[in-house]
Amino acid sequence: MTRPYVSIEAVTRAYPGHVVFRDLWFGISRGEFVCLVGHSGCGKTTVLNILAGLDQPDNGGVIVDGQEISGPSLDRAVIFQGHALMPWMTAEQNVAFALSCRHRDWGKAKLRAAAREALEKVGLGHAADRKPSMLSGGMKQRVGIARALALNPKMLLMDEPFSALDALTRGALQDEVARLVAEAQQTAFMITHDVDEAILLADRILLMTNGPDARCAEVVVNTLPKPRDRANLHRLPGYHALRDHILEFLLTRSRTLAGTRPAEWDPRRPPEVFPAGPPTTIPAAA
Amino acid sequence: MQRQVPFWQSALLAALLLAVCLGAWEVSGGNGGTGATVVDPEYAALVGQAAQSGGQTPFPKPSQIGARLWELLRDPFYIRGTNDQGIGVQIAYSLLRVALGFGLAALVAIPLGFLIGMSPLLSGALNPFIQILRPVSPLAWMPLALFTIKDSTISAIFVIFICSLWPMLLNTAFGVSSVRREWLNVARTLEAGTWKTAFRVILPAAAPTILTGMRISIGIAWLVIVAAEMLVGGTGIGYWVWNQWNNLSLADIVIAILLIGLVGLLLDRLLGAVARLVAWQE
Amino acid sequence: MLRAVIPSGPVRRALLGRFGAATLTAAVGSFFPLAHAREAMAQAAGAPEKKDLKIGFIPITCATPIIMAHPMGFYARAGLNVEVIRTAGWAVIRDKCIAGEYDAAHMLAPMPVAMSLGVGVAQPIPWAVAAIENINGQAITLANKHKDKRNPKDWKGFRFAVPFDFSMHNYLLRHYLAEAGLDPDRDVQIRAVPPPEMVANLRADNIDGFLGPDPFNQRAVFDGIGFIHLLTRELWDGHPCCAFAVPRSMLTEAPNTFAALLRAIIDATAFAQKPENRREVAAAISAQNYLNQPETVVTQVLTGTYADGLGQVQRVPDRIGFAPFPWPSMAMWILTQMKRWGQVQRDLDYAQVAQQVFLSLDAGKVMKEAGQAVPANPLRIETIMGKSFDPANPAPWTERSVRAG
Repeated sequence: MTRPYVSIEAVTRAYPGHVVFRDLWFGISRGEFVCLVGHSGCGKTTVLNILAGLDQPDNGGVIVDGQEISGPSLDRAVIFQGHALMPWMTAEQNVAFALSCRHRDWGKAKLRAAAREALEKVGLGHAADRKPSMLSGGMKQRVGIARALALNPKMLLMDEPFSALDALTRGALQDEVARLVAEAQQTAFMITHDVDEAILLADRILLMTNGPDARCAEVVVNTLPKPRDRANLHRLPGYHALRDHILEFLLTRSRTLAGTRPAEWDPRRPPEVFPAGPPTTIPAAA
Repeated sequence: MQRQVPFWQSALLAALLLAVCLGAWEVSGGNGGTGATVVDPEYAALVGQAAQSGGQTPFPKPSQIGARLWELLRDPFYIRGTNDQGIGVQIAYSLLRVALGFGLAALVAIPLGFLIGMSPLLSGALNPFIQILRPVSPLAWMPLALFTIKDSTISAIFVIFICSLWPMLLNTAFGVSSVRREWLNVARTLEAGTWKTAFRVILPAAAPTILTGMRISIGIAWLVIVAAEMLVGGTGIGYWVWNQWNNLSLADIVIAILLIGLVGLLLDRLLGAVARLVAWQE
Repeated sequence: MLRAVIPSGPVRRALLGRFGAATLTAAVGSFFPLAHAREAMAQAAGAPEKKDLKIGFIPITCATPIIMAHPMGFYARAGLNVEVIRTAGWAVIRDKCIAGEYDAAHMLAPMPVAMSLGVGVAQPIPWAVAAIENINGQAITLANKHKDKRNPKDWKGFRFAVPFDFSMHNYLLRHYLAEAGLDPDRDVQIRAVPPPEMVANLRADNIDGFLGPDPFNQRAVFDGIGFIHLLTRELWDGHPCCAFAVPRSMLTEAPNTFAALLRAIIDATAFAQKPENRREVAAAISAQNYLNQPETVVTQVLTGTYADGLGQVQRVPDRIGFAPFPWPSMAMWILTQMKRWGQVQRDLDYAQVAQQVFLSLDAGKVMKEAGQAVPANPLRIETIMGKSFDPANPAPWTERSVRAG
């Protein structure tokens, strides 16, 4: 069985007296967008931190493009929940800083030009010389997105990137991310508790039970046709079934399934479901 | 919620208060005395004005101080011999010593503070020493310095160094250790490396705190130099104060206090301007 | 040779009787580099080895010769470029001398003695008195409120200030109090206070009086704070006060410089001694660069026509005197007092130490060249408060209560 592009294998994270999650297995194919959905305390951020290399698992490991990871890397760019921009640098300087880490030999002019380009891609060319204190929440997050994408990473990791924004801005940014990711054919992994967001963006959605000792109960395959946009999403057939399934999980099953490990559940291959209907395209090799 | 008061209002009130205080001082009488008025004119010619009427030479009045101030500021940079130089020259000497002592202290405190801020082990190990040495008065360091270093100029600079070191050290350590974890994570995910992270993330993030430490330190350094110069003398504003003290010339001492305060204010403002340059808002 | 070092017949014979010629010669020779000294004296006519010198002084009238030699050109005439540096206190002068920052300095006469013995310093440092700066010139000043308490017997519980522990002021005050039946260590408090602070302390009622140098006694009168109770001239007429001190190494390493410097000082001293010059000297040294005092205060001290703080104008022309000869007998008295008050514990050969520290030979030679009278016998009998001090028999003066007649 060939490994997926990104493969999480047997990952466990535990503290004395408290297991966050145990024996986690899943894979992400190249160009695929995977979402992790669950309640707080199920270890979502921990999974992301482990993927980013900011945290070390107590067991198991992560293999990206055939190599096991050990620590953070430019190949796995992160978009943080709270934009994490350096307030003493302008938007352009923030992106240029990231680029200078990736391309150590580039000159100042080249870095500036590339930074400006990245900002224009997210529609912030006009605000390039502003410091973060003069940008709105949405704009700041867009800079964060520009910074991550400018690095051309193997994988994009997003930790509830829009949860700190108001509903309107959130919507706009979700559309934007969908477009950018599709354009670049970016492999992406996102954590969210917003169901609509997951349905809009993700190819597969992992459902985590409540902690402690959380597990990936199910993998929901999103068979809604792409490209998707928020305006027309709810009209697609299968949308409501998909949404209800995930909602139901979040409201009830995440709790009832918590802590249990039924005999027929294999951590290496959590069950795949297709609430939106059978796949219309051949799914990527598992 | 305080309302905004126009600048001229508070300035006017301050000026009024000053005028009232100075006026009261000027007209206040009494020069404490126990003796009788002197009759013999030859005797009267030999003693000071106050002693002639049985009193003691009083604390000078604002008008006298003002006159003396004008006299000093008219020609501040004269040099009429080793022991007699203008007040501008004396202040320049003191500032030079402060610059050297403070500069040295900054060169040691900021890198060391950086290390302490980044390493909990180092922080725990050095903390007891820092806490014990910090409260030691400059006047206690002076004899030790003179005994070992012997040269009085270098001793004065050493005393400034050792006293202005601590605020910068502690503030730098604090600033560095409280850099937002988020930014450090960003730097990690960007594989920035130790040096790049230190100079482009930690340093700018901690800069406002470091500069606060520097502002405190410069105040201490200026305070210490006056004390140190009074002890070892030679040149400098502290030595000038001691010299006027020899001459029981209180007007000069009051003037020295004013000038010392003024220079201290200017030094603080200078660093304040630098602090504004490195300040950042979220 | 021994005769040259110890001219006094009785003393020399007494010492010879005790130690024998060979021992005595060896002992004296080991401390007093006679060979060097004679050579130094012989070739003193050469050019100074070091022309640029730094001399520290304390701004009191005792330092008059050292100070006036600067504006009145005595140093220049001797071929030297001297910078006189006003210093913050006696301890600082001592430290700067030890560190080598000063080539020579104004010191209290007992200071070189103490330093050479290793008292009050980390280890013995050989400094010597090349010339005495001034004789007399001090006074006991009391606060105005004690105008009616002129008898020292009434001074129990008083707080006094002196400039330094190793000073003529301290010894004279203690002797004065002892003669009045008081115990200086138990019945009164004696503190070391820098002279400028004495007047301020008197004003603030921190001390009841002080035995200190001028011009601060006169300054207290000038500012209406105190009155002059007694001039030290009346305690011991001709007592030494301050000295012009040099490191003993200067004698061997820079003998020409030493000779030139001594010449300048002795000339200045002679000039200052003449009454007709006193006003001119006062005007020269009261400037801001030197004493920084009102000219009338300094003039009153130097001319001896002064206001005493009690409404009278006194006329004492030799209130302060300038006689440079460093009498070894003075040194011996200082040593007995150090023993008397417990500053020195061990037994000393007073004559030997006195000869090492008070360079009467060199001063005598230069004075002769300058045409001044040189005493034939460097050990003379001193009269202090009516009692005589005979250097041949110093023992009585080491007792706390002096028995000498």
